[in-house]
Amino acid sequence: MSEIDTTLDYKFGAQTLFALRHTGEICGSNGLPLTPKSIGILGKSQILKTFKHASLATYLDFIRGKHERLLIVSEFKKQNLKSRLYENKSSVIKIAHQVLKALAYLNSNGIVHRALCAENILLDEKGDVKLFNYGLYHMTNNGLDVEFPIGSVKYMAPEVLVSVLNKNYISGPKVDVWSLGIILMEIIFKTELWPKLKLSQCLRKVLSLIYCDDVLSRFARESDKMQIYQEMDSDLKNFLESCLQVNPKNRSIPEELLKHKIFEGVTEMQFINDFEEENNNGHPLNLWQLHELYYLWQLAGGDVHSELKRNGLIKTKPPILSVPSLILLEGMSFGHIKDPACMLDLKVVPLSLDALTARLKHINFNIYYPLIETKLHLINDLENSDKELENLPLIIRERDTEYQLHRIVLYKRLLQGYPYTRRRIYHEAIKDIPPIFRGEIWAALLDVKGDIENEYIAIDKETPIPTDRQIEVDIPRCHQYNELLSSKRGHLKLKRILKAWVVNSQQYVYWQGLDSLCAPFLCLNFNNEARAFASFSAFIPKYLHNFFLKDNSAVIKEYLAKFFHLMAYHDPILAKHLQEINFIPELFAIPWFLTMFSHVFPLHKIFHLWDKLLLGDSSYPLFIGLAILEQLRDTLLQSGFNECILLFSDLPEVDIERCVTISSNLYFDTPRSITFRKFQLNSSTDKLPYTLTEDMMSEIQKELNPRLDVVDFLELVNSRDTRSNVLVVDARSNSEFGEKSVAGSINIPYESIDFKNDISSGIPSSPELSVLINNKGKMIIIIGQTASEAAKFCSFLTNAEFSKVCFLNGGIDVLLSSGILTQVNSY
Amino acid sequence: MNFEEDDTKHIETFHYIFPTLTTEKDQILEIPIEIPFLGLVSELTKRIMENFSLPCYIEDELNGALEHFIKTQTIEYHDRVAVEAIENVQNNMVDVEDIIKKWEKLFKEVVHFKKVYFSNIKYYFINYDFYSQETTEYAEKKISSDNEVFSNVYHKLMHSGAALQTMLQVEQSYALAASHVMSQRNEQISSLTAQQTEEITNALENTLNNETYINEMVAKHFEDQNLLQGRWNSEVDTLKETQKREYREWIMKLLEEYQTNNTLSPLCSPTSPTDIPSFSETSVLGGSSIPMMEESFTIHLGSQMKQMHNIRIMSADILDFCRIKLKNDVSVNPSPQRLQTALGLYSNDLCGLVLLNDNNDLSGFSGLAKKFYEVCDCSTEFHFPGVLEQLETLKIQIKDAVSWRNSCQHPGNLTTSEQQSRRSGSKHLQTGDVFLTKHSNLSSVHIVFHMIVDDSLRSNEINSRHSAILGLRNILKTACLNDITTLTIPVLLMHEMTEEMTVAWCTKRAELVFKCVKGFMIEMASWGGSDLKNLQFLVPKGISEEVFASLATMLPSIFRVSNPLVFKVSSTPTTPKIKARR
Repeated sequence: MSEIDTTLDYKFGAQTLFALRHTGEICGSNGLPLTPKSIGILGKSQILKTFKHASLATYLDFIRGKHERLLIVSEFKKQNLKSRLYENKSSVIKIAHQVLKALAYLNSNGIVHRALCAENILLDEKGDVKLFNYGLYHMTNNGLDVEFPIGSVKYMAPEVLVSVLNKNYISGPKVDVWSLGIILMEIIFKTELWPKLKLSQCLRKVLSLIYCDDVLSRFARESDKMQIYQEMDSDLKNFLESCLQVNPKNRSIPEELLKHKIFEGVTEMQFINDFEEENNNGHPLNLWQLHELYYLWQLAGGDVHSELKRNGLIKTKPPILSVPSLILLEGMSFGHIKDPACMLDLKVVPLSLDALTARLKHINFNIYYPLIETKLHLINDLENSDKELENLPLIIRERDTEYQLHRIVLYKRLLQGYPYTRRRIYHEAIKDIPPIFRGEIWAALLDVKGDIENEYIAIDKETPIPTDRQIEVDIPRCHQYNELLSSKRGHLKLKRILKAWVVNSQQYVYWQGLDSLCAPFLCLNFNNEARAFASFSAFIPKYLHNFFLKDNSAVIKEYLAKFFHLMAYHDPILAKHLQEINFIPELFAIPWFLTMFSHVFPLHKIFHLWDKLLLGDSSYPLFIGLAILEQLRDTLLQSGFNECILLFSDLPEVDIERCVTISSNLYFDTPRSITFRKFQLNSSTDKLPYTLTEDMMSEIQKELNPRLDVVDFLELVNSRDTRSNVLVVDARSNSEFGEKSVAGSINIPYESIDFKNDISSGIPSSPELSVLINNKGKMIIIIGQTASEAAKFCSFLTNAEFSKVCFLNGGIDVLLSSGILTQVNSY
Repeated sequence: MNFEEDDTKHIETFHYIFPTLTTEKDQILEIPIEIPFLGLVSELTKRIMENFSLPCYIEDELNGALEHFIKTQTIEYHDRVAVEAIENVQNNMVDVEDIIKKWEKLFKEVVHFKKVYFSNIKYYFINYDFYSQETTEYAEKKISSDNEVFSNVYHKLMHSGAALQTMLQVEQSYALAASHVMSQRNEQISSLTAQQTEEITNALENTLNNETYINEMVAKHFEDQNLLQGRWNSEVDTLKETQKREYREWIMKLLEEYQTNNTLSPLCSPTSPTDIPSFSETSVLGGSSIPMMEESFTIHLGSQMKQMHNIRIMSADILDFCRIKLKNDVSVNPSPQRLQTALGLYSNDLCGLVLLNDNNDLSGFSGLAKKFYEVCDCSTEFHFPGVLEQLETLKIQIKDAVSWRNSCQHPGNLTTSEQQSRRSGSKHLQTGDVFLTKHSNLSSVHIVFHMIVDDSLRSNEINSRHSAILGLRNILKTACLNDITTLTIPVLLMHEMTEEMTVAWCTKRAELVFKCVKGFMIEMASWGGSDLKNLQFLVPKGISEEVFASLATMLPSIFRVSNPLVFKVSSTPTTPKIKARR
């Protein structure tokens, strides 16, 4: 490798502005508190991040500060057309072409720039255009959500100026064409328009144009540039004239203007060429998508807020100097001194990448080009450096620049290869999921593929349906602390996805809780509704199969019964206590499972919880439920029924990382067949080992302890690893036991037990009893004459606080063909 | 010309004709579409296809036609609106001057003269300097910017460490000097009063004196009193003014010194007040005591996202939050509360206090309000106008506010009938209205919310729509929007225990206030202001221990207390291993 430039030039900059504050009233017409305007702006601005165009400065981030402040981060270039206004005549056509291309792209996305001026046309090193600040008008709801006017007066089209008194006025694409005309004219005439005029004079100037037929010649005359005007190429003159038409009817839109004669032979900007050029010399990070780079920059300690502050753009007066002095009961306040620092100043502070470069200086460039399919010793070495990091808590890993760099590099490759790399993605997700790709990785884990875009488009999300009302009631109550979800845009998107799901799943109905269930997907895929919908629709059958039937009582009943079985299996003391105070799972666990905990926890916790959940099968949520109870265990054991109800009505803080660890330990410590449910979605590989009849179902639900399937039984008994941890108790009579029994099992006949007493006096003293007591903590499998006998024996043991108690489904008969039965000589 | 009419909703009808395979006749579609169209054209196409069960072979064409239609209609719509607006001006239906005025207002109100602040930044965008050359426009702001400079200097010095001690000591010695003068004043006034009382008594005893004589004597006494008080008051005022001026000058000098040497000479106090009287013991400005009962909780609010807050319930005299303990020896460290308050004065963590006030016109001083003003007046206010001066300014604002109220159309927080009743009211403030005063010379408070209340609060029957409760909500909102993160609220909405405040009364009132405040706090979370970190519920001093205890136990049942940290002792205690180090 030859000389490599290891420095990264700065690539993005930050600005700040204030949203309009609500005055007076605090409640909207629906009785709910008004959403702050800054949230509305945040919601509307998200779409801007998806715009990728060679001539647009990409938007990277929007951050909401305190007191309605907004911070905007976007791609940024030092040079702009204003600073190079007079040297550019030769490239006028190129600039016009690129600006129009960018405008046409924006228009096709329904966006008007409105603030087009020379300063907002950035120029990169090669003199190519990067349009800037183009999202301002859109994100501020056409300027309604901010106090300041959008645009600069001398570039404003006449119709914008005269419409200032009309609150409903919305600018169309042609206003930008006028602005472009003025800018180009300045370049061609080599003059700055009205540099010394006051605002009011400037306004008068533009307003006087509405009586003018030939704006171009008038400008030429006024600025004493008639010579240039007369010598101007006729095509160019014609082009400028078509931009500077006072009557919008006669002005063209950007898309049409691109077809103008002067652009004949203009080469399109090649996006790909840039890449190759930079590819040869430069830091590999230069090739990264800007938002990924920005993400790393943040991890490396980059803080937009403090950068702006350092540059004097966030400067606030001490609050005590501006408090109001009088507040009427109506909510109106007086004497509040407006902080002049709140006024608009859209200066851009470039964000330096130095800290990031320094942080990544020592990293071998090979890291950036991982080999996915082949293993080399070299690569292995690099991977080893990650090994120690892997043992750190997730929270730390998620904030570690270098670790995330590795993860991003790797996952980027893997996601490019999806769906062929699905196994590998799954495998890597066991370690962790980098937050920046979480939405995509979740979709991959849920096996979302195909033309999801068009499938989503095809679903009717507009036509009113009966559940609309309920959806509309639920949405403003769904994770509203989250800025995106509480925005109007967020509400709209959530509604669309929910409606799409209801329409698309005819067999199901909308149950409250679906909104919470959908929230994490929307939050992760805010700009990709189709993926949010597809992930959401794949998630439900996997984990909540049939939970949203109109009558879901049977499904839920079975689910909760299984939950209780598991509780008895792993924590007999707690199960016993809850049973005694009659605090059944129906009282607290339905919202847990119906929303997969998304109703219970804040989103950032859901993300970590579901990162693991998505790796498990449909029984995994049961273990999460157990892990939550584990954290409340001490309180629960001391509480009676009423205290428990109170406790669950407002759940205390739960440590999610601990919850994740414990649930996965429990998951691996439980034979699969224990959690088999009739109503789970059974894939071909994961079939129920036995058919469940209705009778058996109701029996099972009455039982306290789970049943074990013969397959698991044989595996446990036959494997050398597990055999020593399993105690098989045969509850049949002595004679039957003698005839045929599992080798190594002990015999405690059902008839001999006195169920009214506790364990030591309930079972007649015998060597078997001491074996049983000595093996407390091992897995105990009861083989009974009948299921009910075995179940009763089990619950007897559970009440005696024996854990891991279950019984063999089908009794001894299922073992007949297995060959593990032996004959014991009876006396 | 009426611009208010809602012309953004605009419907155009889309026509589409397509042939079918089965019949000769062409099918005609007519679809009304709102322009500008906000959805996705492709979704609209799908819906049309579905709803009319159209044959799939026309889908692409239909989509294209729709796209084209919407595009041209949108352009036409924009053109129409724009042309209309321009023509309105051309035909003089709209006054150009109105337009110019509106733009000027928009730009000037919002766009700032940034030359003053940010002259050294390299990259300028949308250079609005251009529009705001008339700096005279901003002349009135100069006064406040003076304060701003001082606040910056003060804050900087306070947090420099080196100057902190000195500054507080200087403040204290100033306060002592002021209190000395004031105690002299009080002494003289009371001795005069005593003397006059004696004279009157003597005169009355002497039956020879007729009524006129007595009257004359009373008149003379009155005059003497006024004279004496006036003299002293002007002396106090002069002293305070001098102190304030000296102090502020000194602070500015201190900064210079600090910046040049980066150190401070230990006691470079201003013309140190020489005649500090020697009190034999700690003197308290206005008398003070420590809170009697107190209990604290850490709570969290919110169903999914939990927000932590500290809540404290305490029984104390509300003025204890204001009074400063003065120690005679200026070199003794100031109290920790005072230190905290001084450090926080210009920070984003202000302390507020709700004081109930039953006089609605700010003039007749009586009761607690009067005592409060006295406490404020005990020492010089170095940062803000004195409290009485603040009240004078307020009176002017009240006039504006009352006229606003009488002309206001929007009921705001209130129902229309509630507002009607207030509008017909007096030209004074009414129950639930709040005025604010700011202070730098109180013990642990920066901002005092004076809420106007009336006798209706004595009743047991108030509910969550009572003006005082709504007033509390406004207070919490103001706190949230102005970085007041510690707030003390008299939870019973009473400052003293009275006869009718039975146990049941107290419990009911406390429950109401707790619940309402909780609701307001949850509401506040979405306002994007600062969180209320410490909320203190104050009950009057005379409350019985049982009632206090029952109110304290009510708190954790209304607010959800955070998970307590439980230390478990394992059954086999392990001895901590400490490695010996050499």
